[in-house]
Amino acid sequence: MIYKWRRLGENSLFLAPSIILTITLGIYPLFWMLRYMFYDYAGYGEALFIGLDNFRRLLRDGLFWESVRNTFVFAGGKLLLTLPLSLLLAVILNGKLRGVSLLRGIYFMPTVISTAVISVVFYNIFNSYNGMVNTVLMKLHLVSAPVDWLGPKHAMLTVIIVAVWGAVGNYMLLFLAGLQSIPQDLYESAAIDGANAGRRFWNITLPMLAPVAQMVIMLAIIASLKGYESIMVITEGGPIGKTEVMYLYLYKLLFPVSTGSPVAQQLGYGSAVGFASAVIVGAVTGLYFFFSRKMNKVY
Amino acid sequence: MNEHVISKQPAGLKQSVPREPGGHAGRIAVRTVMWVFLLATALLTLFPLLMTLAGSLKTGAEMMTGGSLLPAKLQFANYAEAWKQANFARYTWNSAFMSVMVTVGTLLVASMAAYVVDRREFPGKRIYVTVQASMMFISVGAIVLRPQFDLMVALHLNTTLWGVILILVSAHSSTFFMLQGFFKAIPRELDEAAMVDGSGFIRTFFRIILPLLTPGLGVAGLFAFRHSWNEYILPLVFTMTNPKLQTLTVGLANLRYGSSAAMQIHLMMAGACLSILPMLLAYILANKTFIQVTAGSVKG
Repeated sequence: MIYKWRRLGENSLFLAPSIILTITLGIYPLFWMLRYMFYDYAGYGEALFIGLDNFRRLLRDGLFWESVRNTFVFAGGKLLLTLPLSLLLAVILNGKLRGVSLLRGIYFMPTVISTAVISVVFYNIFNSYNGMVNTVLMKLHLVSAPVDWLGPKHAMLTVIIVAVWGAVGNYMLLFLAGLQSIPQDLYESAAIDGANAGRRFWNITLPMLAPVAQMVIMLAIIASLKGYESIMVITEGGPIGKTEVMYLYLYKLLFPVSTGSPVAQQLGYGSAVGFASAVIVGAVTGLYFFFSRKMNKVY
Repeated sequence: MNEHVISKQPAGLKQSVPREPGGHAGRIAVRTVMWVFLLATALLTLFPLLMTLAGSLKTGAEMMTGGSLLPAKLQFANYAEAWKQANFARYTWNSAFMSVMVTVGTLLVASMAAYVVDRREFPGKRIYVTVQASMMFISVGAIVLRPQFDLMVALHLNTTLWGVILILVSAHSSTFFMLQGFFKAIPRELDEAAMVDGSGFIRTFFRIILPLLTPGLGVAGLFAFRHSWNEYILPLVFTMTNPKLQTLTVGLANLRYGSSAAMQIHLMMAGACLSILPMLLAYILANKTFIQVTAGSVKG
């Protein structure tokens, strides 16, 4: 009996730090959000219960829906560039080349570098007046006049490029891991049967990679819908809201940003926006799972 | 690794495999295009880093006018200026303090929990594991920062970096699962033998099991350190009214504002170099670890 209590004590002692931290800083904030999304609460003063008013406001909130639209443009652009590029790199690096590990090391490097820090760098080198991107493009005679990378016309493209820069190496590595788990003898027997490189890719590589690819693409979708750190540093959602994404808009409802933002702090409404954003990300992930379910069933 | 194995095989089978259309000339063309693509991608990946390095060695005036890729004369004094005048000494100390504490805290909290979960049965174990797993996926963005912040204010932990540290340690679920995998590799007989010899549970863990877990702690610690060293939004929120506590990421990003921002781009670049360098060194030294652990996450 004493033995049993002692074991229980030891277990509790070892689990206590984890459980306490998880409950207070992981779970409690979720319930905080679920409560305050029904309140009018500016962060100071009294919180007023207003039922579903925050959600009615959400439906009419042009800024929010604009940010949802921008989120899909940003995520779509990032995925369309990142996924094919990283798959292509992975397929090439999976072949037996000289210098594979050096190239792989270079491509993967952006993942160890702070998004915020490299975004400060990009903020400077994409500067239209003295940025190095324009300098290089003009020296190579690819453009005749400086491109206004951070202006309303190109800002979205710029933040997408930065996001792709940071993501390609990561997904390349995940695809590469998937490719390397395909048994080599499949290729050998296909080669003996006379299948050329193209057919081997379509009939062996792609179907065998499908289950891993399904998961990698899901991770990529979630990450691209949620990312806002680099946008916050480079454009702060501007100019004129052109790069304002969902989670950045949410951030602005909760904490002040540097320049005069039109978004006023409102924690109650912010909770509703946070909840709605999570639902949108969840719905996209769910739809993706539904439409990609065949990928997991090939073998 | 594969390269050697393959090249040592008898040539016959392998040689007959690549049969791209167009014969020899076509193959050379394909190879050339492939290498141009690979090298161009590598160059684009390195470009911002090379520009950071070059920019950190230019004068403020050179950066302001732009136009040249390389510095006319290497201005190593920029680093001293960033370190002293632009407060990077303080930012670096704050980043280092925060990251070391987060790493130690995360490893301690996660390894203790993972040990009990791996070695013992207790009521609620499944619930605990399920909650930890879902903590990795649930994310409602910045909204959680608000109650976390208020909690730290109530505990008076918002005037030091300890508030940020506790919040970062609370997100230890990925470390937990990583370490659980490492615990499985340590035979249970070892714990039992130690306990038979009269070593208590706590003593066994700290004296016998934890030292054996060193490689796993190293790997998990590397990822925890990277995460906190690179963290931006959490320290930003906590140090808004307390610039003395700013970390490298926050201090650097704040240099964009202020009246003299345009004249300080060279310092911004020097500061960026300072903050990238430790992670880059760790990456070069522990390249295999970073790559294997990341790749392992999809293999299942």
